[in-house]
Amino acid sequence: MRRRFVLFVAALVGALTAAGLLTQFGLGGSNRVQIGDGSISALKRAARAGDALPQSVLAYPFADRNFASPDGRGARVLSTYGSLTLYAVPGKSGMVCLIEVDSAAGTAGGACADRSVLKTGSIYMADRQEDGSLQVVGLVGDGHTFAEADGRRTAVENNSFLLPQVEGSDLTIGSPTATQEVDLGR
Amino acid sequence: MLAAILVACFALMLVPTASAQTQIYVWQQNLPPNGVGRDYAGAHNHFYNELYFGPNAGWRSEVWEVTPAGYRHFDKNCVGNCFNSHPAYYFATAYCANRDGGSHFVNQCLDRW
Repeated sequence: MRRRFVLFVAALVGALTAAGLLTQFGLGGSNRVQIGDGSISALKRAARAGDALPQSVLAYPFADRNFASPDGRGARVLSTYGSLTLYAVPGKSGMVCLIEVDSAAGTAGGACADRSVLKTGSIYMADRQEDGSLQVVGLVGDGHTFAEADGRRTAVENNSFLLPQVEGSDLTIGSPTATQEVDLGR
Repeated sequence: MLAAILVACFALMLVPTASAQTQIYVWQQNLPPNGVGRDYAGAHNHFYNELYFGPNAGWRSEVWEVTPAGYRHFDKNCVGNCFNSHPAYYFATAYCANRDGGSHFVNQCLDRW
Protein backbone atom coordinates (compact mmCIF):
# COMPACT_ATOMS: atom_id res chain seq x y z
CA MET A 1 0.00 0.00 0.00
CA ARG A 2 2.77 2.38 1.03
CA ARG A 3 4.74 1.45 -2.10
CA ARG A 4 1.72 2.32 -4.28
CA PHE A 5 1.41 5.69 -2.57
CA VAL A 6 5.09 6.46 -3.15
CA LEU A 7 4.75 5.50 -6.81
CA PHE A 8 1.66 7.69 -7.14
CA VAL A 9 3.44 10.70 -5.62
CA ALA A 10 6.49 10.11 -7.86
CA ALA A 11 4.27 9.92 -10.94
CA LEU A 12 2.43 13.08 -9.91
CA VAL A 13 5.66 15.01 -9.37
CA GLY A 14 6.96 13.77 -12.72
CA ALA A 15 3.78 14.83 -14.53
CA LEU A 16 3.80 18.28 -12.96
CA THR A 17 7.47 18.78 -13.80
CA ALA A 18 6.87 17.76 -17.42
CA ALA A 19 3.87 20.10 -17.66
CA GLY A 20 5.92 22.96 -16.25
CA LEU A 21 8.75 22.38 -18.70
CA LEU A 22 6.34 22.17 -21.63
CA THR A 23 4.68 25.42 -20.59
CA GLN A 24 7.96 27.28 -20.25
CA PHE A 25 9.87 25.97 -23.23
CA GLY A 26 7.30 24.41 -25.47
CA LEU A 27 3.60 25.14 -25.70
CA GLY A 28 3.68 28.53 -23.97
CA GLY A 29 7.20 29.45 -24.96
CA SER A 30 6.43 31.52 -28.04
CA ASN A 31 4.66 34.19 -25.99
CA ARG A 32 6.99 34.00 -23.05
CA VAL A 33 10.33 34.74 -24.60
CA GLN A 34 12.22 37.04 -22.29
CA ILE A 35 14.58 39.78 -23.45
CA GLY A 36 16.52 41.68 -20.81
CA ASP A 37 15.42 42.20 -17.23
CA GLY A 38 13.11 45.19 -17.64
CA SER A 39 15.86 47.76 -17.19
CA ILE A 40 15.57 51.05 -19.10
CA SER A 41 18.93 52.71 -19.73
CA ALA A 42 17.25 55.87 -20.99
CA LEU A 43 15.91 56.53 -17.49
CA LYS A 44 19.41 56.32 -16.01
CA ARG A 45 21.12 58.95 -18.15
CA ALA A 46 21.82 62.43 -16.76
CA ALA A 47 18.89 64.84 -16.99
CA ARG A 48 18.81 67.48 -19.72
CA ALA A 49 16.89 70.74 -19.92
CA GLY A 50 14.25 69.37 -22.28
CA ASP A 51 13.41 66.29 -20.20
CA ALA A 52 10.78 68.00 -18.07
CA LEU A 53 7.21 67.03 -18.91
CA PRO A 54 4.88 69.82 -20.09
CA GLN A 55 2.88 71.39 -17.27
CA SER A 56 -0.33 70.46 -19.08
CA VAL A 57 0.49 66.75 -18.69
CA LEU A 58 1.39 67.14 -15.02
CA ALA A 59 -1.96 68.83 -14.40
CA TYR A 60 -3.96 65.75 -15.40
CA PRO A 61 -5.22 63.36 -12.70
CA PHE A 62 -3.28 60.64 -14.53
CA ALA A 63 0.04 62.17 -13.40
CA ASP A 64 -0.90 62.24 -9.72
CA ARG A 65 -2.15 58.67 -9.80
CA ASN A 66 0.64 57.08 -11.80
CA PHE A 67 3.88 59.02 -11.61
CA ALA A 68 6.32 58.27 -8.80
CA SER A 69 6.61 62.00 -8.26
CA PRO A 70 3.73 64.43 -8.91
CA ASP A 71 6.10 66.74 -10.78
CA GLY A 72 7.23 63.92 -13.06
CA ARG A 73 10.72 63.90 -11.61
CA GLY A 74 13.00 61.46 -13.37
CA ALA A 75 11.27 61.83 -16.74
CA ARG A 76 13.49 61.49 -19.81
CA VAL A 77 12.90 62.29 -23.44
CA LEU A 78 13.27 59.05 -25.38
CA SER A 79 12.87 60.26 -28.94
CA THR A 80 11.37 62.97 -31.12
CA TYR A 81 9.58 62.51 -34.44
CA GLY A 82 8.68 65.89 -35.89
CA SER A 83 6.26 67.47 -33.40
CA LEU A 84 5.85 64.19 -31.48
CA THR A 85 7.96 63.64 -28.36
CA LEU A 86 8.11 60.41 -26.36
CA TYR A 87 9.00 60.40 -22.66
CA ALA A 88 9.65 57.67 -20.11
CA VAL A 89 8.57 58.46 -16.56
CA PRO A 90 9.19 56.49 -13.35
CA GLY A 91 5.85 55.30 -12.01
CA LYS A 92 4.43 54.37 -8.64
CA SER A 93 4.70 50.87 -7.17
CA GLY A 94 7.08 49.48 -9.75
CA MET A 95 5.29 50.94 -12.73
CA VAL A 96 6.92 52.78 -15.60
CA CYS A 97 5.13 55.13 -17.97
CA LEU A 98 5.32 56.04 -21.63
CA ILE A 99 4.05 59.54 -22.41
CA GLU A 100 3.55 61.02 -25.88
CA VAL A 101 3.07 64.72 -26.58
CA ASP A 102 2.32 66.08 -30.04
CA SER A 103 2.75 69.83 -29.89
CA ALA A 104 1.36 70.43 -33.38
CA ALA A 105 -1.74 68.28 -32.96
CA GLY A 106 -2.38 69.52 -29.42
CA THR A 107 -2.62 65.93 -28.15
CA ALA A 108 -1.04 63.96 -25.33
CA GLY A 109 -1.40 60.40 -24.16
CA GLY A 110 0.07 58.03 -21.67
CA ALA A 111 0.30 54.41 -20.61
CA CYS A 112 1.64 53.20 -17.27
CA ALA A 113 2.17 49.54 -16.48
CA ASP A 114 4.12 47.24 -14.24
CA ARG A 115 7.77 47.19 -15.27
CA SER A 116 7.71 43.39 -15.55
CA VAL A 117 5.75 43.83 -18.81
CA LEU A 118 9.02 44.92 -20.43
CA LYS A 119 10.59 41.48 -19.99
CA THR A 120 8.16 39.81 -22.36
CA GLY A 121 6.76 42.70 -24.37
CA SER A 122 6.29 46.43 -24.65
CA ILE A 123 4.34 49.20 -22.94
CA TYR A 124 2.75 50.71 -26.00
CA MET A 125 0.00 53.00 -27.23
CA ALA A 126 -1.80 52.37 -30.52
CA ASP A 127 -3.86 55.27 -31.84
CA ARG A 128 -6.45 54.61 -34.51
CA GLN A 129 -6.00 57.08 -37.37
CA GLU A 130 -8.77 58.50 -39.55
CA ASP A 131 -7.84 56.01 -42.32
CA GLY A 132 -8.26 53.06 -39.93
CA SER A 133 -4.55 52.34 -39.53
CA LEU A 134 -2.75 52.48 -36.18
CA GLN A 135 0.10 54.67 -35.10
CA VAL A 136 2.02 52.64 -32.53
CA VAL A 137 4.57 54.06 -30.11
CA GLY A 138 6.29 51.77 -27.65
CA LEU A 139 8.63 51.60 -24.69
CA VAL A 140 10.88 48.54 -24.53
CA GLY A 141 13.49 47.33 -22.08
CA ASP A 142 17.23 47.15 -22.68
CA GLY A 143 18.25 44.52 -25.21
CA HIS A 144 15.50 45.22 -27.72
CA THR A 145 16.87 46.50 -30.99
CA PHE A 146 13.91 46.57 -33.39
CA ALA A 147 10.14 46.69 -33.80
CA GLU A 148 8.36 45.41 -36.87
CA ALA A 149 4.81 45.46 -38.26
CA ASP A 150 3.37 44.77 -41.71
CA GLY A 151 6.84 43.70 -42.82
CA ARG A 152 8.33 47.10 -41.98
CA ARG A 153 11.09 47.18 -39.41
CA THR A 154 12.26 50.18 -37.39
CA ALA A 155 15.18 50.48 -35.01
CA VAL A 156 14.65 50.94 -31.28
CA GLU A 157 16.12 54.26 -30.17
CA ASN A 158 16.64 55.01 -26.50
CA ASN A 159 14.24 52.22 -25.50
CA SER A 160 11.48 53.50 -27.79
CA PHE A 161 10.04 53.06 -31.25
CA LEU A 162 7.41 54.51 -33.57
CA LEU A 163 5.52 52.48 -36.17
CA PRO A 164 3.13 54.61 -38.27
CA GLN A 165 0.28 53.31 -40.41
CA VAL A 166 0.10 49.78 -39.02
CA GLU A 167 -2.65 47.73 -40.68
CA GLY A 168 -2.02 44.40 -38.96
CA SER A 169 -3.18 43.12 -35.60
CA ASP A 170 0.21 42.53 -34.04
CA LEU A 171 3.82 43.58 -34.10
CA THR A 172 7.14 41.93 -33.43
CA ILE A 173 9.82 43.31 -31.18
CA GLY A 174 13.18 41.71 -30.69
CA SER A 175 16.90 41.54 -30.20
CA PRO A 176 19.54 40.01 -32.49
CA THR A 177 18.83 36.61 -30.91
CA ALA A 178 15.14 36.55 -29.90
CA THR A 179 11.74 37.90 -30.87
CA GLN A 180 8.47 38.61 -29.04
CA GLU A 181 4.96 38.93 -30.48
CA VAL A 182 2.82 41.84 -29.24
CA ASP A 183 -0.95 41.68 -29.71
CA LEU A 184 -2.47 45.02 -30.73
CA GLY A 185 -5.96 43.72 -30.09
CA ARG A 186 -7.75 44.54 -33.34
CA MET B 1 -18.23 107.29 -14.40
CA LEU B 2 -18.99 105.31 -11.24
CA ALA B 3 -22.34 104.28 -12.68
CA ALA B 4 -20.62 103.02 -15.82
CA ILE B 5 -18.21 100.94 -13.76
CA LEU B 6 -21.08 99.49 -11.73
CA VAL B 7 -22.98 98.62 -14.89
CA ALA B 8 -19.87 96.96 -16.34
CA CYS B 9 -19.33 94.93 -13.15
CA PHE B 10 -22.97 93.85 -13.14
CA ALA B 11 -22.69 92.80 -16.77
CA LEU B 12 -19.60 90.71 -15.98
CA MET B 13 -21.49 88.95 -13.20
CA LEU B 14 -24.04 87.78 -15.74
CA VAL B 15 -21.41 86.23 -18.03
CA PRO B 16 -21.27 82.47 -17.38
CA THR B 17 -17.85 81.21 -16.38
CA ALA B 18 -16.35 78.55 -18.62
CA SER B 19 -15.01 75.71 -16.49
CA ALA B 20 -14.12 72.10 -17.17
CA GLN B 21 -16.52 69.40 -16.07
CA THR B 22 -15.18 66.08 -14.82
CA GLN B 23 -17.29 62.93 -14.88
CA ILE B 24 -16.24 59.64 -13.28
CA TYR B 25 -18.23 57.13 -15.30
CA VAL B 26 -16.81 53.88 -13.96
CA TRP B 27 -16.18 53.73 -10.25
CA GLN B 28 -14.52 50.76 -8.57
CA GLN B 29 -16.01 47.82 -10.37
CA ASN B 30 -14.83 44.69 -12.09
CA LEU B 31 -14.82 44.73 -15.87
CA PRO B 32 -14.95 41.28 -17.51
CA PRO B 33 -12.83 40.40 -20.56
CA ASN B 34 -13.55 43.08 -23.15
CA GLY B 35 -15.92 44.70 -20.67
CA VAL B 36 -16.84 48.26 -21.62
CA GLY B 37 -17.63 51.28 -19.47
CA ARG B 38 -19.70 54.12 -20.92
CA ASP B 39 -20.35 57.66 -19.78
CA TYR B 40 -24.11 57.83 -19.48
CA ALA B 41 -23.88 61.59 -18.94
CA GLY B 42 -24.15 61.66 -22.72
CA ALA B 43 -22.26 63.35 -25.50
CA HIS B 44 -20.03 66.35 -24.86
CA ASN B 45 -17.05 67.99 -26.49
CA HIS B 46 -14.51 66.04 -24.47
CA PHE B 47 -10.85 66.90 -24.29
CA TYR B 48 -9.77 64.12 -21.89
CA ASN B 49 -10.52 60.45 -21.30
CA GLU B 50 -8.77 58.16 -18.80
CA LEU B 51 -8.87 54.61 -17.51
CA TYR B 52 -7.17 53.80 -14.20
CA PHE B 53 -7.00 50.18 -13.08
CA GLY B 54 -4.56 50.71 -10.24
CA PRO B 55 -0.84 50.49 -9.53
CA ASN B 56 -0.49 46.88 -10.68
CA ALA B 57 -1.82 47.24 -14.23
CA GLY B 58 -0.05 45.26 -16.92
CA TRP B 59 -2.66 44.29 -19.48
CA ARG B 60 -4.34 45.90 -22.47
CA SER B 61 -6.87 48.71 -22.19
CA GLU B 62 -8.69 51.15 -24.46
CA VAL B 63 -10.33 54.59 -24.30
CA TRP B 64 -12.34 56.14 -27.14
CA GLU B 65 -15.31 58.34 -28.06
CA VAL B 66 -18.32 57.85 -30.31
CA THR B 67 -20.43 60.58 -31.89
CA PRO B 68 -24.24 60.30 -31.95
CA ALA B 69 -23.91 59.35 -35.63
CA GLY B 70 -21.76 56.37 -34.64
CA TYR B 71 -18.33 57.63 -35.69
CA ARG B 72 -15.44 56.58 -33.50
CA HIS B 73 -12.74 59.10 -32.59
CA PHE B 74 -9.72 59.50 -30.33
CA ASP B 75 -9.39 55.74 -30.02
CA LYS B 76 -6.31 54.79 -28.04
CA ASN B 77 -5.22 51.27 -27.08
CA CYS B 78 -2.72 51.01 -24.25
CA VAL B 79 -0.93 48.59 -22.02
CA GLY B 80 -1.95 49.37 -18.44
CA ASN B 81 -3.44 52.62 -17.17
CA CYS B 82 -4.25 54.91 -20.07
CA PHE B 83 -5.17 58.50 -20.90
CA ASN B 84 -5.87 60.46 -24.05
CA SER B 85 -5.89 64.24 -24.13
CA HIS B 86 -6.94 65.99 -27.34
CA PRO B 87 -8.71 69.04 -28.79
CA ALA B 88 -12.45 69.03 -28.14
CA TYR B 89 -13.29 68.51 -31.81
CA TYR B 90 -16.20 66.10 -31.50
CA PHE B 91 -19.52 66.04 -29.67
CA ALA B 92 -19.25 62.45 -28.49
CA THR B 93 -19.74 59.92 -25.70
CA ALA B 94 -16.70 58.56 -23.85
CA TYR B 95 -15.94 54.88 -23.38
CA CYS B 96 -13.26 52.79 -21.65
CA ALA B 97 -12.58 49.06 -21.81
CA ASN B 98 -10.58 46.25 -20.29
CA ARG B 99 -9.03 44.51 -23.30
CA ASP B 100 -7.46 41.65 -21.41
CA GLY B 101 -8.62 38.04 -21.48
CA GLY B 102 -9.39 38.13 -17.77
CA SER B 103 -11.55 40.30 -15.51
CA HIS B 104 -9.90 43.28 -13.85
CA PHE B 105 -10.87 45.74 -11.19
CA VAL B 106 -11.17 49.27 -12.56
CA ASN B 107 -10.58 52.01 -10.03
CA GLN B 108 -12.16 54.56 -12.30
CA CYS B 109 -12.74 55.79 -15.83
CA LEU B 110 -13.22 59.52 -16.13
CA ASP B 111 -13.66 62.11 -18.82
CA ARG B 112 -13.55 65.90 -19.03
CA TRP B 113 -15.21 68.46 -21.23
